[in-house]
Amino acid sequence: MGIAAAASVVVVLVMLALSRSINETKLNVACVFGIGIGLAIGNAVLALNLSWPPRNGLDRLLMIVVPAVLGVELIAGFNRVPRVAAWLLRISLSLATPRILLNGSVYLSSSGDWTAWRAGATIVVCGLGLALVWSLLSWLSRRSGGLSISFALCLAIQCSGVAVMLAGYIKGGAAAIPFVATLLAVSLALRVVTKYAASRVEIDKPNGFVAAGIVGVGVVSLFSLLFIGRFFGDISTGPAFTILLAPLLCWTTELPPLRNRKPWFVASCRLALVAIPLLVVVIAGKREFDREMSPLLGKASKNDGTTQQTSHRLS
Amino acid sequence: MIRFLSASTQMLVCGAILCVYTTPTFAADEYDYDLVHSSVSFKARHLDIGWIHGRFNDVAGKFSIDREDPSKSTFSLTIKTDSVDTANEARDKHLRQPDYFDTKQYPTIEFKSTSTKAIDGGYEVTGDFTMHGTTNKITIVLMGGKEHSFKNVKRVAFSTELALKRSDYGFDKNAIGAIGDKALIMIDCEGVRK
Repeated sequence: MGIAAAASVVVVLVMLALSRSINETKLNVACVFGIGIGLAIGNAVLALNLSWPPRNGLDRLLMIVVPAVLGVELIAGFNRVPRVAAWLLRISLSLATPRILLNGSVYLSSSGDWTAWRAGATIVVCGLGLALVWSLLSWLSRRSGGLSISFALCLAIQCSGVAVMLAGYIKGGAAAIPFVATLLAVSLALRVVTKYAASRVEIDKPNGFVAAGIVGVGVVSLFSLLFIGRFFGDISTGPAFTILLAPLLCWTTELPPLRNRKPWFVASCRLALVAIPLLVVVIAGKREFDREMSPLLGKASKNDGTTQQTSHRLS
Repeated sequence: MIRFLSASTQMLVCGAILCVYTTPTFAADEYDYDLVHSSVSFKARHLDIGWIHGRFNDVAGKFSIDREDPSKSTFSLTIKTDSVDTANEARDKHLRQPDYFDTKQYPTIEFKSTSTKAIDGGYEVTGDFTMHGTTNKITIVLMGGKEHSFKNVKRVAFSTELALKRSDYGFDKNAIGAIGDKALIMIDCEGVRK
Protein backbone atom coordinates (compact mmCIF):
# COMPACT_ATOMS: atom_id res chain seq x y z
CA MET A 1 0.00 0.00 0.00
CA GLY A 2 3.03 2.24 0.10
CA ILE A 3 2.78 2.48 -3.66
CA ALA A 4 -0.83 3.66 -3.49
CA ALA A 5 0.01 6.20 -0.80
CA ALA A 6 3.06 7.43 -2.69
CA ALA A 7 1.07 7.78 -5.90
CA SER A 8 -1.60 9.82 -4.09
CA VAL A 9 1.03 12.14 -2.57
CA VAL A 10 2.78 12.62 -5.90
CA VAL A 11 -0.47 13.48 -7.70
CA VAL A 12 -1.47 16.01 -5.03
CA LEU A 13 1.94 17.68 -4.85
CA VAL A 14 2.37 17.86 -8.63
CA MET A 15 -1.10 19.30 -9.20
CA LEU A 16 -0.61 21.94 -6.50
CA ALA A 17 2.94 22.74 -7.55
CA LEU A 18 1.61 23.68 -11.00
CA SER A 19 -0.74 26.29 -9.46
CA ARG A 20 0.42 29.80 -8.69
CA SER A 21 -2.17 30.31 -6.01
CA ILE A 22 -3.87 27.54 -4.10
CA ASN A 23 -7.48 27.95 -3.04
CA GLU A 24 -9.96 25.55 -1.54
CA THR A 25 -11.21 24.39 -4.93
CA LYS A 26 -7.74 23.47 -6.17
CA LEU A 27 -6.95 21.69 -2.93
CA ASN A 28 -10.14 19.70 -3.28
CA VAL A 29 -9.51 18.86 -6.95
CA ALA A 30 -5.97 17.69 -6.19
CA CYS A 31 -7.30 15.63 -3.29
CA VAL A 32 -10.00 13.94 -5.43
CA PHE A 33 -7.54 13.03 -8.18
CA GLY A 34 -4.95 11.87 -5.65
CA ILE A 35 -7.46 9.60 -3.92
CA GLY A 36 -8.82 8.24 -7.21
CA ILE A 37 -5.44 7.36 -8.67
CA GLY A 38 -4.17 6.00 -5.37
CA LEU A 39 -7.23 3.75 -5.01
CA ALA A 40 -6.88 2.43 -8.55
CA ILE A 41 -3.24 1.53 -7.94
CA GLY A 42 -3.95 0.11 -4.49
CA ASN A 43 -6.74 -2.16 -5.76
CA ALA A 44 -4.52 -3.36 -8.60
CA VAL A 45 -1.67 -4.16 -6.18
CA LEU A 46 -4.07 -6.08 -3.93
CA ALA A 47 -5.24 -8.07 -6.99
CA LEU A 48 -8.87 -7.78 -5.94
CA ASN A 49 -9.90 -9.27 -9.34
CA LEU A 50 -12.68 -6.78 -9.95
CA SER A 51 -14.96 -7.55 -12.87
CA TRP A 52 -17.14 -5.57 -15.24
CA PRO A 53 -20.07 -5.79 -15.19
CA PRO A 54 -19.86 -5.93 -11.40
CA ARG A 55 -20.54 -9.40 -9.96
CA ASN A 56 -20.86 -8.62 -6.27
CA GLY A 57 -21.19 -5.87 -3.68
CA LEU A 58 -17.46 -5.13 -3.55
CA ASP A 59 -17.28 -4.75 -7.35
CA ARG A 60 -20.21 -2.34 -7.23
CA LEU A 61 -18.56 -0.33 -4.45
CA LEU A 62 -15.20 0.02 -6.18
CA MET A 63 -16.47 0.42 -9.75
CA ILE A 64 -19.66 2.42 -9.28
CA VAL A 65 -19.97 4.01 -5.84
CA VAL A 66 -16.37 5.21 -5.44
CA PRO A 67 -16.20 6.85 -8.91
CA ALA A 68 -19.59 8.42 -8.16
CA VAL A 69 -18.46 9.93 -4.86
CA LEU A 70 -15.25 11.18 -6.45
CA GLY A 71 -17.33 12.81 -9.17
CA VAL A 72 -19.74 14.34 -6.68
CA GLU A 73 -16.93 15.76 -4.54
CA LEU A 74 -15.17 17.10 -7.64
CA ILE A 75 -18.30 18.96 -8.74
CA ALA A 76 -19.24 20.06 -5.22
CA GLY A 77 -15.78 21.52 -4.69
CA PHE A 78 -16.21 24.24 -7.30
CA ASN A 79 -17.21 27.64 -5.92
CA ARG A 80 -19.78 28.16 -8.67
CA VAL A 81 -21.76 25.17 -7.47
CA PRO A 82 -24.20 26.35 -4.77
CA ARG A 83 -23.92 24.55 -1.45
CA VAL A 84 -27.54 23.46 -1.70
CA ALA A 85 -26.88 21.80 -5.04
CA ALA A 86 -23.74 20.15 -3.69
CA TRP A 87 -25.64 18.70 -0.75
CA LEU A 88 -28.48 17.56 -2.99
CA LEU A 89 -25.90 15.59 -4.95
CA ARG A 90 -24.45 14.11 -1.77
CA ILE A 91 -27.84 13.18 -0.36
CA SER A 92 -28.86 11.61 -3.69
CA LEU A 93 -25.69 9.53 -3.68
CA SER A 94 -26.31 8.57 -0.05
CA LEU A 95 -29.79 7.28 -0.89
CA ALA A 96 -28.55 5.52 -4.04
CA THR A 97 -25.57 3.78 -2.43
CA PRO A 98 -27.47 1.07 -0.51
CA ARG A 99 -29.60 0.33 -3.59
CA ILE A 100 -26.51 0.04 -5.77
CA LEU A 101 -24.72 -2.23 -3.31
CA LEU A 102 -27.72 -4.56 -2.98
CA ASN A 103 -28.34 -4.81 -6.72
CA GLY A 104 -29.12 -8.34 -7.94
CA SER A 105 -29.05 -9.81 -4.43
CA VAL A 106 -31.67 -11.87 -2.59
CA TYR A 107 -32.69 -8.76 -0.65
CA LEU A 108 -34.19 -7.17 -3.77
CA SER A 109 -35.41 -10.35 -5.41
CA SER A 110 -39.12 -11.16 -5.49
CA SER A 111 -38.29 -14.73 -4.47
CA GLY A 112 -36.05 -13.63 -1.60
CA ASP A 113 -36.86 -13.37 2.11
CA TRP A 114 -37.51 -9.62 2.07
CA THR A 115 -40.70 -7.96 0.98
CA ALA A 116 -40.49 -4.89 -1.24
CA TRP A 117 -41.51 -2.74 1.72
CA ARG A 118 -38.76 -4.09 3.93
CA ALA A 119 -36.16 -3.64 1.19
CA GLY A 120 -37.32 -0.09 0.50
CA ALA A 121 -37.36 0.85 4.18
CA THR A 122 -33.88 -0.59 4.75
CA ILE A 123 -32.47 1.28 1.75
CA VAL A 124 -34.04 4.57 2.82
CA VAL A 125 -33.00 4.25 6.49
CA CYS A 126 -29.44 3.26 5.61
CA GLY A 127 -29.22 6.03 3.00
CA LEU A 128 -30.44 8.63 5.47
CA GLY A 129 -28.00 7.31 8.08
CA LEU A 130 -25.14 7.73 5.63
CA ALA A 131 -26.29 11.25 4.74
CA LEU A 132 -26.51 12.16 8.45
CA VAL A 133 -22.98 10.92 9.29
CA TRP A 134 -21.63 12.60 6.15
CA SER A 135 -23.24 15.93 6.95
CA LEU A 136 -22.18 15.90 10.63
CA LEU A 137 -18.56 15.13 9.83
CA SER A 138 -18.53 17.64 7.02
CA TRP A 139 -19.95 20.30 9.37
CA LEU A 140 -17.30 19.50 11.98
CA SER A 141 -14.52 19.71 9.39
CA ARG A 142 -15.70 23.19 8.35
CA ARG A 143 -16.33 24.31 11.94
CA SER A 144 -13.06 23.33 13.54
CA GLY A 145 -11.25 21.05 11.08
CA GLY A 146 -8.01 19.32 11.89
CA LEU A 147 -6.01 16.40 10.60
CA SER A 148 -7.54 14.34 13.43
CA ILE A 149 -10.84 14.10 11.54
CA SER A 150 -9.10 12.40 8.61
CA PHE A 151 -7.18 10.18 11.02
CA ALA A 152 -10.39 9.26 12.87
CA LEU A 153 -12.02 8.29 9.57
CA CYS A 154 -8.98 6.21 8.61
CA LEU A 155 -9.03 4.48 12.01
CA ALA A 156 -12.69 3.60 11.54
CA ILE A 157 -12.17 2.36 7.97
CA GLN A 158 -9.25 0.16 9.04
CA CYS A 159 -11.33 -1.17 11.93
CA SER A 160 -14.18 -1.94 9.54
CA GLY A 161 -11.77 -3.88 7.34
CA VAL A 162 -10.51 -5.88 10.30
CA ALA A 163 -14.04 -6.55 11.55
CA VAL A 164 -15.20 -7.72 8.10
CA MET A 165 -12.15 -10.00 7.81
CA LEU A 166 -12.64 -11.46 11.28
CA ALA A 167 -16.28 -12.16 10.38
CA GLY A 168 -14.99 -14.29 7.48
CA TYR A 169 -14.97 -12.08 4.37
CA ILE A 170 -11.24 -11.75 3.68
CA LYS A 171 -11.39 -9.88 0.37
CA GLY A 172 -13.96 -7.42 1.68
CA GLY A 173 -11.79 -6.57 4.64
CA ALA A 174 -8.66 -6.23 2.52
CA ALA A 175 -10.42 -3.63 0.35
CA ALA A 176 -10.23 -1.21 3.30
CA ILE A 177 -6.45 -0.97 3.07
CA PRO A 178 -6.17 1.17 -0.09
CA PHE A 179 -8.79 3.57 1.31
CA VAL A 180 -6.81 4.05 4.52
CA ALA A 181 -3.51 4.45 2.68
CA THR A 182 -4.76 7.00 0.16
CA LEU A 183 -6.86 9.06 2.60
CA LEU A 184 -3.97 9.26 5.08
CA ALA A 185 -1.48 10.12 2.35
CA VAL A 186 -3.65 12.81 0.79
CA SER A 187 -4.44 14.35 4.21
CA LEU A 188 -0.75 14.55 5.09
CA ALA A 189 0.15 15.92 1.66
CA LEU A 190 -2.46 18.68 1.98
CA ARG A 191 -1.17 19.48 5.47
CA VAL A 192 2.38 19.76 4.15
CA VAL A 193 1.24 22.09 1.36
CA THR A 194 -0.83 24.37 3.63
CA LYS A 195 2.04 24.56 6.14
CA TYR A 196 5.10 24.96 3.91
CA ALA A 197 3.55 26.81 0.98
CA ALA A 198 1.42 29.06 3.19
CA SER A 199 2.22 32.15 1.13
CA ARG A 200 0.43 30.64 -1.89
CA VAL A 201 -2.53 29.27 0.04
CA GLU A 202 -5.66 31.41 0.03
CA ILE A 203 -7.96 29.74 2.54
CA ASP A 204 -9.36 30.88 5.89
CA LYS A 205 -7.98 28.23 8.25
CA PRO A 206 -5.03 26.62 6.51
CA ASN A 207 -3.89 24.72 9.61
CA GLY A 208 -7.21 23.04 10.19
CA PHE A 209 -8.22 22.54 6.56
CA VAL A 210 -9.84 19.22 5.70
CA ALA A 211 -10.75 18.77 2.04
CA ALA A 212 -14.40 17.90 1.49
CA GLY A 213 -13.29 15.08 -0.80
CA ILE A 214 -11.49 13.34 2.05
CA VAL A 215 -14.59 13.45 4.24
CA GLY A 216 -16.86 12.35 1.39
CA VAL A 217 -14.77 9.42 0.20
CA GLY A 218 -13.95 8.45 3.78
CA VAL A 219 -17.55 8.37 5.01
CA VAL A 220 -18.97 6.67 1.91
CA SER A 221 -16.25 4.01 1.88
CA LEU A 222 -16.66 3.38 5.61
CA PHE A 223 -20.42 3.01 5.25
CA SER A 224 -20.15 0.82 2.15
CA LEU A 225 -17.59 -1.58 3.60
CA LEU A 226 -19.74 -2.04 6.70
CA PHE A 227 -22.89 -2.39 4.56
CA ILE A 228 -21.29 -5.10 2.44
CA GLY A 229 -19.94 -6.81 5.55
CA ARG A 230 -23.40 -6.74 7.14
CA PHE A 231 -25.54 -7.84 4.20
CA PHE A 232 -23.16 -10.13 2.32
CA GLY A 233 -20.68 -11.07 5.03
CA ASP A 234 -21.32 -12.04 8.61
CA ILE A 235 -20.71 -8.86 10.59
CA SER A 236 -23.59 -8.09 12.92
CA THR A 237 -25.59 -4.85 13.08
CA GLY A 238 -24.29 -3.71 16.48
CA PRO A 239 -20.57 -3.66 15.63
CA ALA A 240 -21.35 -2.18 12.19
CA PHE A 241 -23.28 0.72 13.75
CA THR A 242 -20.58 1.25 16.38
CA ILE A 243 -17.84 1.55 13.79
CA LEU A 244 -19.91 3.82 11.53
CA LEU A 245 -20.78 6.21 14.35
CA ALA A 246 -17.37 6.18 16.07
CA PRO A 247 -15.89 9.09 14.03
CA LEU A 248 -18.79 11.27 15.24
CA LEU A 249 -17.21 11.14 18.70
CA CYS A 250 -14.89 13.85 17.36
CA TRP A 251 -17.82 16.19 18.07
CA THR A 252 -17.16 15.71 21.77
CA THR A 253 -14.26 18.14 21.54
CA GLU A 254 -16.73 20.88 20.57
CA LEU A 255 -18.00 20.87 24.15
CA PRO A 256 -17.04 24.08 26.02
CA PRO A 257 -14.38 22.52 28.34
CA LEU A 258 -12.44 21.13 25.38
CA ARG A 259 -13.22 23.49 22.55
CA ASN A 260 -10.54 26.11 23.17
CA ARG A 261 -7.73 23.81 24.17
CA LYS A 262 -4.53 23.54 22.20
CA PRO A 263 -4.88 21.79 18.82
CA TRP A 264 -2.68 18.82 19.79
CA PHE A 265 -4.83 18.23 22.89
CA VAL A 266 -8.05 18.40 20.90
CA ALA A 267 -6.62 16.02 18.29
CA SER A 268 -5.45 13.55 20.93
CA CYS A 269 -8.85 13.60 22.65
CA ARG A 270 -10.62 12.99 19.37
CA LEU A 271 -8.45 10.05 18.40
CA ALA A 272 -8.63 8.52 21.88
CA LEU A 273 -12.42 8.81 22.02
CA VAL A 274 -12.83 7.30 18.55
CA ALA A 275 -10.32 4.53 19.25
CA ILE A 276 -12.09 3.22 22.36
CA PRO A 277 -15.27 1.81 20.77
CA LEU A 278 -13.27 0.63 17.74
CA LEU A 279 -10.93 -1.31 20.02
CA VAL A 280 -13.87 -2.90 21.82
CA VAL A 281 -15.36 -4.04 18.50
CA VAL A 282 -12.05 -5.46 17.25
CA ILE A 283 -11.37 -7.31 20.51
CA ALA A 284 -14.87 -8.79 20.55
CA GLY A 285 -14.52 -9.76 16.90
CA LYS A 286 -11.17 -11.41 17.53
CA ARG A 287 -12.58 -13.45 20.42
CA GLU A 288 -15.47 -14.59 18.27
CA PHE A 289 -13.05 -15.48 15.47
CA ASP A 290 -10.81 -17.49 17.79
CA ARG A 291 -13.79 -19.35 19.17
CA GLU A 292 -15.34 -20.25 15.84
CA MET A 293 -12.40 -20.61 13.50
CA SER A 294 -9.81 -22.28 15.72
CA PRO A 295 -10.75 -25.84 14.74
CA LEU A 296 -10.47 -24.90 11.08
CA LEU A 297 -7.07 -23.30 11.53
CA GLY A 298 -5.56 -26.39 13.10
CA LYS A 299 -5.44 -25.31 16.72
CA ALA A 300 -5.74 -28.28 19.07
CA SER A 301 -8.75 -28.42 21.36
CA LYS A 302 -8.78 -29.59 24.93
CA ASN A 303 -11.26 -32.23 26.10
CA ASP A 304 -13.41 -29.54 27.70
CA GLY A 305 -13.97 -27.89 24.30
CA THR A 306 -11.67 -24.88 24.78
CA THR A 307 -8.77 -24.37 22.45
CA GLN A 308 -5.08 -24.06 23.07
CA GLN A 309 -2.22 -23.03 20.89
CA THR A 310 0.01 -25.88 19.82
CA SER A 311 3.58 -25.01 20.64
CA HIS A 312 6.84 -26.62 19.70
CA ARG A 313 9.76 -26.37 22.05
CA LEU A 314 13.34 -27.03 21.13
CA SER A 315 14.82 -29.14 23.84
CA MET B 1 -78.88 -52.60 -49.78
CA ILE B 2 -75.84 -53.34 -51.87
CA ARG B 3 -74.91 -49.61 -51.74
CA PHE B 4 -75.43 -49.63 -47.95
CA LEU B 5 -73.16 -52.67 -47.55
CA SER B 6 -70.59 -51.04 -49.72
CA ALA B 7 -70.75 -47.87 -47.61
CA SER B 8 -70.35 -49.88 -44.39
CA THR B 9 -67.49 -51.83 -45.85
CA GLN B 10 -65.88 -48.63 -46.95
CA MET B 11 -66.15 -47.22 -43.44
CA LEU B 12 -64.68 -50.39 -41.98
CA VAL B 13 -61.80 -50.31 -44.39
CA CYS B 14 -61.13 -46.62 -43.69
CA GLY B 15 -61.22 -47.27 -39.96
CA ALA B 16 -58.76 -50.11 -40.29
CA ILE B 17 -56.42 -48.01 -42.35
CA LEU B 18 -56.58 -45.24 -39.78
CA CYS B 19 -55.75 -47.69 -36.98
CA VAL B 20 -52.76 -49.02 -38.83
CA TYR B 21 -51.24 -45.72 -39.87
CA THR B 22 -51.99 -43.58 -36.81
CA THR B 23 -49.18 -43.91 -34.20
CA PRO B 24 -50.46 -43.87 -30.63
CA THR B 25 -48.80 -41.02 -28.58
CA PHE B 26 -47.86 -41.40 -24.91
CA ALA B 27 -46.94 -38.23 -22.87
CA ALA B 28 -43.56 -38.20 -21.07
CA ASP B 29 -43.60 -39.32 -17.42
CA GLU B 30 -43.11 -36.34 -15.10
CA TYR B 31 -41.19 -36.82 -11.85
CA ASP B 32 -40.61 -34.52 -8.92
CA TYR B 33 -37.28 -34.61 -7.09
CA ASP B 34 -37.69 -36.52 -3.81
CA LEU B 35 -35.51 -34.64 -1.31
CA VAL B 36 -35.84 -37.33 1.37
CA HIS B 37 -34.38 -40.09 -0.78
CA SER B 38 -31.86 -38.05 -2.71
CA SER B 39 -28.57 -36.33 -2.04
CA VAL B 40 -26.29 -33.77 -3.62
CA SER B 41 -22.84 -33.95 -2.09
CA PHE B 42 -19.41 -32.67 -2.99
CA LYS B 43 -15.78 -32.93 -2.02
CA ALA B 44 -12.82 -30.63 -2.56
CA ARG B 45 -9.13 -30.92 -1.81
CA HIS B 46 -7.80 -29.42 1.40
CA LEU B 47 -4.14 -28.34 1.32
CA ASP B 48 -3.72 -30.87 -1.51
CA ILE B 49 -3.48 -33.69 1.02
CA GLY B 50 -7.00 -34.47 2.13
CA TRP B 51 -10.63 -33.94 1.20
CA ILE B 52 -13.38 -31.82 2.65
CA HIS B 53 -16.82 -33.30 2.21
CA GLY B 54 -20.10 -31.46 2.19
CA ARG B 55 -23.64 -31.57 0.94
CA PHE B 56 -26.52 -29.32 0.03
CA ASN B 57 -29.65 -29.97 2.04
CA ASP B 58 -32.19 -27.92 0.07
CA VAL B 59 -32.55 -29.19 -3.47
CA ALA B 60 -35.54 -29.24 -5.83
CA GLY B 61 -36.02 -30.45 -9.35
CA LYS B 62 -38.12 -32.02 -12.02
CA PHE B 63 -37.48 -34.45 -14.76
CA SER B 64 -39.63 -35.86 -17.48
CA ILE B 65 -38.72 -39.10 -19.16
CA ASP B 66 -40.07 -39.98 -22.56
CA ARG B 67 -39.30 -43.66 -22.98
CA GLU B 68 -40.52 -43.68 -26.57
CA ASP B 69 -38.33 -40.78 -27.62
CA PRO B 70 -35.55 -40.23 -25.04
CA SER B 71 -34.35 -37.11 -26.82
CA LYS B 72 -37.48 -35.39 -25.54
CA SER B 73 -36.61 -36.14 -21.90
CA THR B 74 -35.74 -33.12 -19.77
CA PHE B 75 -33.96 -32.68 -16.46
CA SER B 76 -33.70 -29.67 -14.19
CA LEU B 77 -32.25 -29.21 -10.71
CA THR B 78 -32.10 -26.20 -8.40
CA ILE B 79 -29.80 -26.20 -5.36
CA LYS B 80 -30.08 -23.57 -2.62
CA THR B 81 -26.50 -22.56 -1.88
CA ASP B 82 -27.47 -21.39 1.61
CA SER B 83 -28.08 -25.04 2.53
CA VAL B 84 -24.40 -25.96 2.24
CA ASP B 85 -23.46 -28.31 5.07
CA THR B 86 -19.92 -29.50 5.82
CA ALA B 87 -20.69 -30.59 9.39
CA ASN B 88 -18.99 -27.49 10.78
CA GLU B 89 -21.12 -24.40 11.35
CA ALA B 90 -18.18 -21.96 11.28
CA ARG B 91 -16.94 -23.35 7.97
CA ASP B 92 -20.48 -23.31 6.55
CA LYS B 93 -20.84 -19.63 7.50
CA HIS B 94 -17.53 -18.93 5.81
CA LEU B 95 -18.57 -20.81 2.66
CA ARG B 96 -21.76 -18.73 2.41
CA GLN B 97 -19.75 -15.49 2.28
CA PRO B 98 -18.61 -13.67 -0.88
CA ASP B 99 -15.17 -15.30 -0.82
CA TYR B 100 -16.89 -18.58 -1.73
CA PHE B 101 -20.52 -19.23 -2.67
CA ASP B 102 -21.74 -15.65 -1.97
CA THR B 103 -25.19 -17.00 -1.18
CA LYS B 104 -26.81 -13.56 -0.79
CA GLN B 105 -25.79 -12.65 -4.34
CA TYR B 106 -26.10 -16.11 -5.94
CA PRO B 107 -28.74 -18.01 -3.97
CA THR B 108 -28.99 -21.00 -6.30
CA ILE B 109 -26.99 -23.44 -8.38
CA GLU B 110 -29.02 -24.61 -11.37
CA PHE B 111 -28.91 -27.20 -14.08
CA LYS B 112 -31.31 -27.21 -17.05
CA SER B 113 -30.99 -29.78 -19.75
CA THR B 114 -30.95 -28.77 -23.41
CA SER B 115 -30.51 -32.16 -25.06
CA THR B 116 -30.76 -35.78 -24.00
CA LYS B 117 -29.46 -38.96 -25.55
CA ALA B 118 -30.18 -42.51 -24.43
CA ILE B 119 -27.10 -44.59 -23.67
CA ASP B 120 -26.58 -48.05 -22.30
CA GLY B 121 -27.80 -47.92 -18.69
CA GLY B 122 -29.04 -44.34 -18.64
CA TYR B 123 -28.91 -41.03 -20.42
CA GLU B 124 -26.27 -38.60 -21.59
CA VAL B 125 -27.62 -35.15 -20.80
CA THR B 126 -26.21 -31.86 -22.01
CA GLY B 127 -27.37 -28.67 -20.39
CA ASP B 128 -26.65 -25.29 -18.84
CA PHE B 129 -25.00 -25.40 -15.43
CA THR B 130 -25.21 -22.07 -13.62
CA MET B 131 -23.20 -21.42 -10.49
CA HIS B 132 -21.97 -18.18 -8.95
CA GLY B 133 -23.52 -16.17 -11.78
CA THR B 134 -21.67 -18.02 -14.54
CA THR B 135 -23.31 -20.47 -16.95
CA ASN B 136 -21.36 -23.18 -18.75
CA LYS B 137 -22.54 -25.98 -20.97
CA ILE B 138 -21.77 -29.37 -19.45
CA THR B 139 -22.58 -32.95 -20.29
CA ILE B 140 -23.39 -35.42 -17.55
CA VAL B 141 -24.07 -39.13 -17.63
CA LEU B 142 -27.14 -40.15 -15.66
CA MET B 143 -27.03 -43.83 -14.83
CA GLY B 144 -30.30 -45.46 -13.86
CA GLY B 145 -33.82 -44.67 -14.99
CA LYS B 146 -35.56 -47.92 -14.14
CA GLU B 147 -38.99 -47.30 -12.75
CA HIS B 148 -40.12 -49.02 -9.55
CA SER B 149 -43.55 -48.97 -8.00
CA PHE B 150 -43.79 -48.90 -4.20
CA LYS B 151 -47.07 -48.44 -2.34
CA ASN B 152 -48.74 -47.18 -5.49
CA VAL B 153 -46.07 -44.55 -5.98
CA LYS B 154 -43.88 -44.80 -9.05
CA ARG B 155 -40.22 -43.95 -8.49
CA VAL B 156 -37.20 -43.66 -10.71
CA ALA B 157 -33.59 -42.99 -9.68
CA PHE B 158 -30.44 -41.66 -11.31
CA SER B 159 -26.83 -41.20 -10.22
CA THR B 160 -24.15 -39.01 -11.65
CA GLU B 161 -20.78 -37.53 -10.78
CA LEU B 162 -19.23 -34.45 -12.27
CA ALA B 163 -16.00 -32.56 -11.78
CA LEU B 164 -15.76 -28.84 -12.23
CA LYS B 165 -13.34 -26.04 -11.47
CA ARG B 166 -14.38 -23.18 -9.22
CA SER B 167 -12.28 -20.80 -11.31
CA ASP B 168 -14.53 -21.56 -14.34
CA TYR B 169 -17.47 -20.19 -12.39
CA GLY B 170 -16.15 -16.85 -11.23
CA PHE B 171 -15.05 -17.87 -7.76
CA ASP B 172 -12.43 -15.58 -6.26
CA LYS B 173 -9.03 -16.78 -7.45
CA ASN B 174 -7.46 -15.58 -4.21
CA ALA B 175 -9.68 -18.04 -2.33
CA ILE B 176 -8.31 -20.95 -4.35
CA GLY B 177 -5.35 -22.34 -2.54
CA ALA B 178 -6.00 -24.05 0.75
CA ILE B 179 -9.20 -25.35 -0.81
CA GLY B 180 -8.53 -26.81 -4.25
CA ASP B 181 -9.92 -25.41 -7.48
CA LYS B 182 -11.45 -28.68 -8.58
CA ALA B 183 -14.60 -29.97 -6.88
CA LEU B 184 -16.31 -33.32 -7.37
CA ILE B 185 -20.10 -33.31 -7.18
CA MET B 186 -22.05 -36.50 -6.58
CA ILE B 187 -25.80 -36.49 -7.26
CA ASP B 188 -28.06 -39.39 -6.36
CA CYS B 189 -31.63 -38.43 -7.06
CA GLU B 190 -34.93 -40.19 -6.85
CA GLY B 191 -37.99 -38.88 -8.57
CA VAL B 192 -41.59 -39.48 -7.65
CA ARG B 193 -44.23 -39.64 -10.33
CA LYS B 194 -47.19 -37.38 -9.92
